[in-house]
Amino acid sequence: MNTYAELHCLSNFSFQRGASSARELFDRAKACGYSALAITDECSLAGIVRAHEAARDTEIQLIVGAEFQLDDGPKLVLLCENLAGYSALCALITRGRRAAEKGRYRVSRHDLADGLPGTLALWIPAAEPDREHGAWLRSLFGDRLWLAVELHCGPDDAQRLRTLETLAASLGIAMVAAGDVHMHVRRRRALQDVLTAIRHHLTMAEAGAVLFKNGERHLRTRDALAAIYPAALMEESVRIAGRCHFSLTELRYRYPAELVPAGHTPATWLRHLTEKGIRWRWPSGAPAKALAQIEHELGLIAALGYESYFLTVQDIVRFARDENILCQGRGSAANSAVCYVLGVTEVDPDRINLLVERFISIERNEPPDIDVDFEHERREEVIQYIYRKYGRDRAALAATVISYRGKSAVRDVARTLGLPTDQIDMLSKVLAWWDGEEPLDGPLRERGFDPASPVLQRVLKLTAELLDAPRHLSQHVGGFVISDQPLSQLVPVENAAMPDRTIIQWDKDDLDALGLLKVDCLALGMLTCVRKCLDLLRQHRGKDLTPDTIPKEDPDTYAMIQRADTIGVFQIESRAQMAMLPRLLPKNFYDLVIEVAIVRPGPIQGDMVHPYLRRRRGEEGVDYPSEKLKPVFERTLGVPLFQEQVMKLAIVAADYTPGEADQLRRAMAAWKRHGGMEKHRERITQGMLKNGYTAEFAARLFEQIKGFGSYGFPESHAASFAGIVYASSWLKCHEPAAFTCALLNAQPMGFYGPSQIVQDAQRHGVTVRPVDVRYSEWDNTLEADASGSLMLRLGLRQVRGFREDVAHRLSGARQHGAFSDMADLCARAGLDSHHQEALAEAGALRGLAGHRHRARWAIAGVEPQLPLFGHASPKEQAIVLPPPSQAEDTLADYARVGLSLGPHPMQQIRARLRAARCVDSRALRDRPHASQVRTAGLVTQRQRPQTASGVTFITLEDEYGPINIVVWSQVAERQRRVFLEARLMGVDGQWEQVDGVSHLIAHRLIDMSELLGPLDSRSRDFH
Amino acid sequence: MLWACVLLPHLALDGVLRRRPSSDAPLALVTGSAQARTIFAANAPARAAGLRAGQRLSAAQALLSQFETIEHDPEAVKRWHRFLAAWAYRYSSEVTLFPHAIVLEVSRSLGLFGPWPRFERLLRDDLVSLGFRHRVTLAPTAHAAYVLAGMHDGLAVTTPETLQRALGAVSIAHARLPPKAAASLPMMGIRQLGQLLSLPRASLQRRFGSELLDYLDRLTGDAPELMEGYRPPDTLDLRMEWTHEIEQVEALMFPLRRLTGDLAAYLAGRDGGVQRFVLELEHRAGAPTRVNVGLLAAERDGALLFECARGRLERLELPQPVVAMRLMARELPPFVPAGRDLFDTRPANAMPLEQLRERLRARLGERAIHRLRRTIDPRPEHAQTTAEDMRLPPVVTSLPRPTWLLGTPIPLRGQVTVLAGPERMETGWWDGGDLRRDYYVVRTAQGQRAWVFCPPGEPGQWMLHGWFA
Repeated sequence: MNTYAELHCLSNFSFQRGASSARELFDRAKACGYSALAITDECSLAGIVRAHEAARDTEIQLIVGAEFQLDDGPKLVLLCENLAGYSALCALITRGRRAAEKGRYRVSRHDLADGLPGTLALWIPAAEPDREHGAWLRSLFGDRLWLAVELHCGPDDAQRLRTLETLAASLGIAMVAAGDVHMHVRRRRALQDVLTAIRHHLTMAEAGAVLFKNGERHLRTRDALAAIYPAALMEESVRIAGRCHFSLTELRYRYPAELVPAGHTPATWLRHLTEKGIRWRWPSGAPAKALAQIEHELGLIAALGYESYFLTVQDIVRFARDENILCQGRGSAANSAVCYVLGVTEVDPDRINLLVERFISIERNEPPDIDVDFEHERREEVIQYIYRKYGRDRAALAATVISYRGKSAVRDVARTLGLPTDQIDMLSKVLAWWDGEEPLDGPLRERGFDPASPVLQRVLKLTAELLDAPRHLSQHVGGFVISDQPLSQLVPVENAAMPDRTIIQWDKDDLDALGLLKVDCLALGMLTCVRKCLDLLRQHRGKDLTPDTIPKEDPDTYAMIQRADTIGVFQIESRAQMAMLPRLLPKNFYDLVIEVAIVRPGPIQGDMVHPYLRRRRGEEGVDYPSEKLKPVFERTLGVPLFQEQVMKLAIVAADYTPGEADQLRRAMAAWKRHGGMEKHRERITQGMLKNGYTAEFAARLFEQIKGFGSYGFPESHAASFAGIVYASSWLKCHEPAAFTCALLNAQPMGFYGPSQIVQDAQRHGVTVRPVDVRYSEWDNTLEADASGSLMLRLGLRQVRGFREDVAHRLSGARQHGAFSDMADLCARAGLDSHHQEALAEAGALRGLAGHRHRARWAIAGVEPQLPLFGHASPKEQAIVLPPPSQAEDTLADYARVGLSLGPHPMQQIRARLRAARCVDSRALRDRPHASQVRTAGLVTQRQRPQTASGVTFITLEDEYGPINIVVWSQVAERQRRVFLEARLMGVDGQWEQVDGVSHLIAHRLIDMSELLGPLDSRSRDFH
Repeated sequence: MLWACVLLPHLALDGVLRRRPSSDAPLALVTGSAQARTIFAANAPARAAGLRAGQRLSAAQALLSQFETIEHDPEAVKRWHRFLAAWAYRYSSEVTLFPHAIVLEVSRSLGLFGPWPRFERLLRDDLVSLGFRHRVTLAPTAHAAYVLAGMHDGLAVTTPETLQRALGAVSIAHARLPPKAAASLPMMGIRQLGQLLSLPRASLQRRFGSELLDYLDRLTGDAPELMEGYRPPDTLDLRMEWTHEIEQVEALMFPLRRLTGDLAAYLAGRDGGVQRFVLELEHRAGAPTRVNVGLLAAERDGALLFECARGRLERLELPQPVVAMRLMARELPPFVPAGRDLFDTRPANAMPLEQLRERLRARLGERAIHRLRRTIDPRPEHAQTTAEDMRLPPVVTSLPRPTWLLGTPIPLRGQVTVLAGPERMETGWWDGGDLRRDYYVVRTAQGQRAWVFCPPGEPGQWMLHGWFA
């Protein structure tokens, strides 16, 4: 019987070369009865964890290896014989990848000088074999070297075999059969050709010279191989496979040990820090419930050996606190009381029911994930701290595998098939969210394509094959892997696109699969805003607040929230959130937790929202499936809203252990893609029947759980976010000037632009002063007026095109004395013409030069100064220039500052709007429900939520505030042009006003943009 | 001096539309790189649907699902511009090209074509019949005429006083000032030329340099205008038309002799030769029939030119009757009489390959003689081409390929001996021409080496695809 092991095989992690996934390759290897399969991606182990999983599932031995083309030598494949060989391979790949720009590698002969003990080498000779290559490899690897004979039905395979036999014999190198496999089956040939063409930036018609001549580079049946190779060469492959006994399960990974002081073990040190934290969080003594929870968690942590992980996270958070960088854990970690006392999370276990198994569980056997948000402007400091503390060899970011999506796949495929750019653009629109299956004939016809044409058929078939294939590695947003030993012994490290960033070759799922821990250091703009606001209060009010000491459960704050007066506030500022606030009327912290969680696709699609609201208003009785389940659902009035509740339900009603309940949650999240809910149906039904529930109830509940699916929100996460919601709301309510100032200084972030934020502040009585070179800093600042109340002074950062360093130079020069005139300003602040113009355009020169026309005339006359001659400019004849009109000033304000403190543009054209019978937003509010009206405003937002089938929310703005427009898809389609392009939009529609939530349902859109002239008002469009 | 300005606001579009029957279908000229296609110009129906110049093509397609797009050809626009300059040259020997406009000095022509309203009428009538939308103005300086044409149509200013008044009211935006000044001045509250002209010169000099002042001086006539005048081109374009329709090629010989004779006379006048010229046979409708005439070297002998052209014409089958013939010659290199080496050893009737090729082409037709080239396509059927402009692929691999590749494979019967193979070929799926074959090098019973193939894994039924030398 002919036996065979494939020793040279690329997966699709050899980007744009391999055309099959590891899973496909292993399935095929199993079907063909191979003894083993090596995955030898080109200078990469990025796909090896997936290969490992596929190997485990198919029970085919995986040989870990990689292929290299040396800069100055042969092409070869290295296979790992044992752990030492694996470390050597990782180190070699790391060296090769770090020596080249992202996506490439450079390996030279001297990189192999140590002979890589623990590896076996296959020499892949070129078409014209270079004898010297063989001799060099022989001297390096000795009898760990084989000559790989790879025959693919070339012009004369028999001659090729004879040539190689002679060569091997003369060099004393053993030979082995190998396949240079690029795909699992022959019919992948077309996709493999396309990938090759993509790699070379060619169309298929141009790619003839670089394509493989045939489809032989697949996993061929053993019979087919036996017809090609001498039996001895095939047997040799199995013998080599027998020598390679390394498995990824041998990898041992330790979290850094240096955080534990002498005399402590990680466990005792964690306990020490925990106890210290308990005294910090509860100075007057911790509640018993919390203490019990902490003990329970410490037990779990010890059982799983995660102490060092918690210590590492604690150390990062401690650094941030020491540096006065606001940070807060999010996600499931907020279920942990230990995380709370370590300062990682802010959810008081006293206020929320924690379910630690959502975070770590024995059954899951997967590392916990701690995600920490930092101020977005200062996260880099945290990242640099981690690099500094552990060194670049021990800390690196996780990779994110960027896969082909409908858009990118069809673009690449259509380009290689030679379609013109215009058509590629249209196709990519049609296929933007394609899953490879849904029929596209309709949308294609709509755009003038013939779906039956052979070209389009080819495009679609190949695009479907390419979907989800990995395309390249990118860096994870903030997931750090930190290790005790150098990372490169564990996994190759390569350069990321950003300078000074290195990433490992594995992504989040790979890390999970191998039990490696990572810390997510994320960036959150609102934390920046809150910290800046607290700093301002310290400076101007002498108030020393922290997020912890902001007064809790303040009625004024909740009153503001209930009015949906929440522009700029965290999370609850979106249209959908604002529409929910007056219905839900949050009056305490837990209501905010629900508010954050309820405006999500999950609860909306699962139809949880209306039952909850009805019960909350007392329109519907609150009932529970059983008395035992009452504690689980009590806080959400019997309506399941949170993942934790579903888990608890399974525990209480169907006798799941907490760990099993977490598996149920994961199955819920994944069943739409992978199935796997059936065993839970069985289990839940049985369990509930046993506990006295009806079968019908169990079935109904199970369907509800399924519908809940991946969208359900963890309560812990909602609680973490609700904390920031409350803090930002309190600041907005009580310190509007400081909050606005901080919010502007933290831009860009959130839903609203500076113009909306400033107008909102003005409506709340905050005085806002313009940018002025006499007073403005880079940042927006607060100034006290005569009575001591705070006013906002716009900073130079609001001026488009103004650089920060120039702003600092300007304010620095001002400290030595006020500027006397334009020439003095330009000379002392060292302003180039670009910045001079920016100031004139922004109206920031009014104190030195007068109105904008005079300012522009003046700066045009400022000549570059030679230091020798001082600042004096020749006296000029005075001239008279007409001042700009109000409309022109507004125009310039919007163009340069993005907002105007003068009369609102709508006010300036109000007379004409009135003539066109447009009602303003103030009058609109007094209209009765269901009345037909016409209104108009600047378009400030277009938002199309995924959940709201075809509906677009447009926000208009006039001098009295925002107007919410709802546009159904048929109106949008009918009036596509107005819908997409109008900057000033008129709307005829029906005014709806229910439960304090009001909006206008558009029947007809009118483009009135020409009334604005060239005003640069910008809409923020979200899709 | 008096200058007439003919402004051509839709030059690019008119150049395209005048060649087409009028239609209400939306049409747009498109330009830009493949990644950033933008609308260059749009006809009235397209503009009504919201298409504008400068708009991205993708945006335009979102507005209007069906419209015709034509690639904007800047060269064509330049040609039409020069074409109109040549037209204007009939009325004045001082013609200058301005962007989208033609300016001509008319004071000396007024005697011939004037007075002005009549002269203006002549210009307009011509332009209407040529199919170019236009504005016409008259002013004492060329630049003033040009500027005023941007705001008015039909304005005639003849005295310096009225000129000053007319210019004073021109907005800065229309004054065609140097770009920097044009962008800056309105932002300083200076909206009209009159305002600008009253500002202190020193302050203007300081802000906008002498470029602005020089321009203003030329505009008002305070400084002479230095302009590069239009000169008729160095190419020849001759046309003959006749009142009846010619249906036989033979009947074309007379006009052909006239035209080639005129060409020869023109060449003699320039002391030059011609190496290539084009004959266009115009029909009542449809595109003219083009006949390219190429010579081995620059020639100017009338009889020789006629013979060469006749050779080409005689092979022609006229698709339609001919109503006019046009001869265009662009390449007019110097003429160098062929010298003969005293010791020339070539036999009397032998000719170099190039000359033989030319003669064969002249006799048998342009397409009768090819040069075979390799292509990059891996499929044997597509491996060679006769196309002229193919990029030559890099020489790759030493694959066994026959010297003589059959256009169509044919069955090969008889016993063969396999020398090498199978070489499996599976490729070509991308244009529907996928092939799967095993190729072999074989020796036939007659001892010839052949390139043959069979379906993969089924040797025996040989198809012959080529012979090795």
